[in-house]
Amino acid sequence: MNIGTRKILDRSFTAVGIGSIIVMAIALMIVVVPIVTNGIGAVFFTGTIEHRKMLLNEFRRGDSENLSSEVASSERYRANVYNMLTGFEAELETMAPEKKAEYKGKYSQVRSALQALLGPLPGDSAPMLTRSKYGQTRWEKAEEKLHDLLYESKWDNSNPDVMSKEYFVNRAIGFEGTSLVKLFPYVKDNLEKMLLPEFTVYWGFITDSSVDSHFFGGIWPEIQGTFFLAIGAMLFAFPLGVVAAVYFTEYAKPGFLNSMLRSANSTLAGVPSIVFGMFGLAFFINTLKVSESKSVIAGALTLAIMILPTIIRSAEEAILAVPKTYREASLSLGSTKWNTIMTVILPAALPGILTGGVISLGRAAGETAPIIFTAAVSVGSAIGLADVFSSPTPALSWNIYNLASEHEAASQIRHVQYGMVLALVSIVLLLNLSAIVVRARVSKKLKG
Amino acid sequence: MIELMIKKLLQLLILLAFTVTAAANAAVGTIVIDGSTTVGPVAKTFAAYFTKKYGVRVTVSESGSGNGAKSLINGSCSIAAMSRAMKAGEIGAARTKGVNPVANIVAYDGLAMVVHPANPVRGLSKAQISSIYRGIITNWREVGGPNARIVVIQRESNSGTEESFKELVAGKGVQITGSAETQSSNGSVKSRVSTTLSAIGFLGLGFVDQSVKIIAVNGVLPNVITVKNGTYPVTRPLYFYTNGQPSGSVKQFIELPKTAEGKRMISELGFVNH
Repeated sequence: MNIGTRKILDRSFTAVGIGSIIVMAIALMIVVVPIVTNGIGAVFFTGTIEHRKMLLNEFRRGDSENLSSEVASSERYRANVYNMLTGFEAELETMAPEKKAEYKGKYSQVRSALQALLGPLPGDSAPMLTRSKYGQTRWEKAEEKLHDLLYESKWDNSNPDVMSKEYFVNRAIGFEGTSLVKLFPYVKDNLEKMLLPEFTVYWGFITDSSVDSHFFGGIWPEIQGTFFLAIGAMLFAFPLGVVAAVYFTEYAKPGFLNSMLRSANSTLAGVPSIVFGMFGLAFFINTLKVSESKSVIAGALTLAIMILPTIIRSAEEAILAVPKTYREASLSLGSTKWNTIMTVILPAALPGILTGGVISLGRAAGETAPIIFTAAVSVGSAIGLADVFSSPTPALSWNIYNLASEHEAASQIRHVQYGMVLALVSIVLLLNLSAIVVRARVSKKLKG
Repeated sequence: MIELMIKKLLQLLILLAFTVTAAANAAVGTIVIDGSTTVGPVAKTFAAYFTKKYGVRVTVSESGSGNGAKSLINGSCSIAAMSRAMKAGEIGAARTKGVNPVANIVAYDGLAMVVHPANPVRGLSKAQISSIYRGIITNWREVGGPNARIVVIQRESNSGTEESFKELVAGKGVQITGSAETQSSNGSVKSRVSTTLSAIGFLGLGFVDQSVKIIAVNGVLPNVITVKNGTYPVTRPLYFYTNGQPSGSVKQFIELPKTAEGKRMISELGFVNH
């Protein structure tokens, strides 16, 4: 090959390499930027007075004197709205029956839009569900609800051959000539005074339990469950994996059985995680009965089996990478095989073993499928360490899925879902970082 | 250093041993609910209320009616939430395992047929819906709508809602068209219908919101009155199944739908009281 072709090949290789790194970086940005920007909104947002009321009532948090003065000032403006409603209700009674019926339907829409915005109106019976006890707690949601109050969505189906088109009608026009027509501009102009939005930092999103299936409150039980599951899986898998790796590298005689075991291990690493989930249900819960129902322990065991192959493989590689001279030096000093493994080989291999452990820990924290049938529930309170043997737990990965698809009001609580995603990504990142630090310290010690 | 690690590991094991003994005490007073995604909102709300009022921990999984039944048969849940009655086969399987499933009706639910709000079709007859799901009617034009292919959305085989739908509308043992899309929960049916102009699907009444449009079945729209008096043709009860007659806190939980507060929660969630 002449030098010119070689140069061209070399350059094009460099270009492809840099190009793929750039593509990866862009992909990472596309994934991470929305996660971070949307996720942060769960903690930092413009909260309304309804959020502060909720915090005081549900979590006994906040300054009650300050709040009651705020409530008083917002009630001054709300009172006008309530007066307009009672005024219109009185007016309704004086109308001709057919006109009354016509307005009644429209009026009940206005009422429910107002309830969504401000919470229960005077005359409503106190609701049982926490979600209907408060108006909008977040300002950006309140603005959406204001739009719902001001405009009615209608569908134009004048052309029967195509699907209808959405258009918005100003609700105020529907109440032309009645006293209620004043309500719409009033609410529009005074919404800020009625809801008193201010910048809120809600750390409770991380430390609180959820209220009324994630409508309010935080995600602490999910975070805790994720930790329990991931660390529990490591407690089982890490020692087992290291022992198995030591056996493969130091004790096992090369032969048919050994190579079968190794290839079985590699195959296991490629088995889809849902298979482990089903296996965990059938084996740990239905056969071994490690717990009466789903439980953290059953989930941790299932995850442990899932990450075991990775740990074994990486520990094996790390042990094999220890220079042969270490082993020979130790043995020549009269040390036993066991002693050599414990004092020379394992410490030298530890950084590599830890790397495998870290990758697996992150995987255990993020997996959904193995815990669907063995550990995860969509609602449950935070569990204590003593309950890991008997209680299932909510966990971030599963609850993200649950909120995305199954929750009855998924579209109203997107911020919680984003917050959970950010929390999960941060936990995995945190685990990785802490393990990198540990690893760095271990290798430093070994060198020193 | 390895010795230090082993020491730490031993300490951990001792700690674990302690927690095992502690767990034996903690296990008392937990209610585990598994099953239907349709009953999910009721179960979750009841769970929060019950935990607050009696201090008993309640966990809720929404994995589908079929899985709820399996969990009850295997003894891995105390209450199976189901949006259909247990089948004879399931009851048989339970009996052989020494489990005696008892049905407790929580609430009634109308199975709402939903389309995208842009769809001008206001109502369909049961026969028309059945034909749509069997693949005989494939275009909205055939039922008075615009010229658009119907995207049929059904639930997975594990779903009680799917079984109720088949039983009440399509007819038992009917083969649903192979081009039907399968979604795994009420929530995902709703989001699919609300983003697909020509879709049709079915939802528990508690899941309906403005993002989809309910259509009348045989000229009747589902609401509290029509579901309660049975004029809405696709009405079904929702169940909490227990093993034998429940006692203790499970009994208290099962009886929540009979209390005034339980009834309020059910109706605020959009379901219909027993």
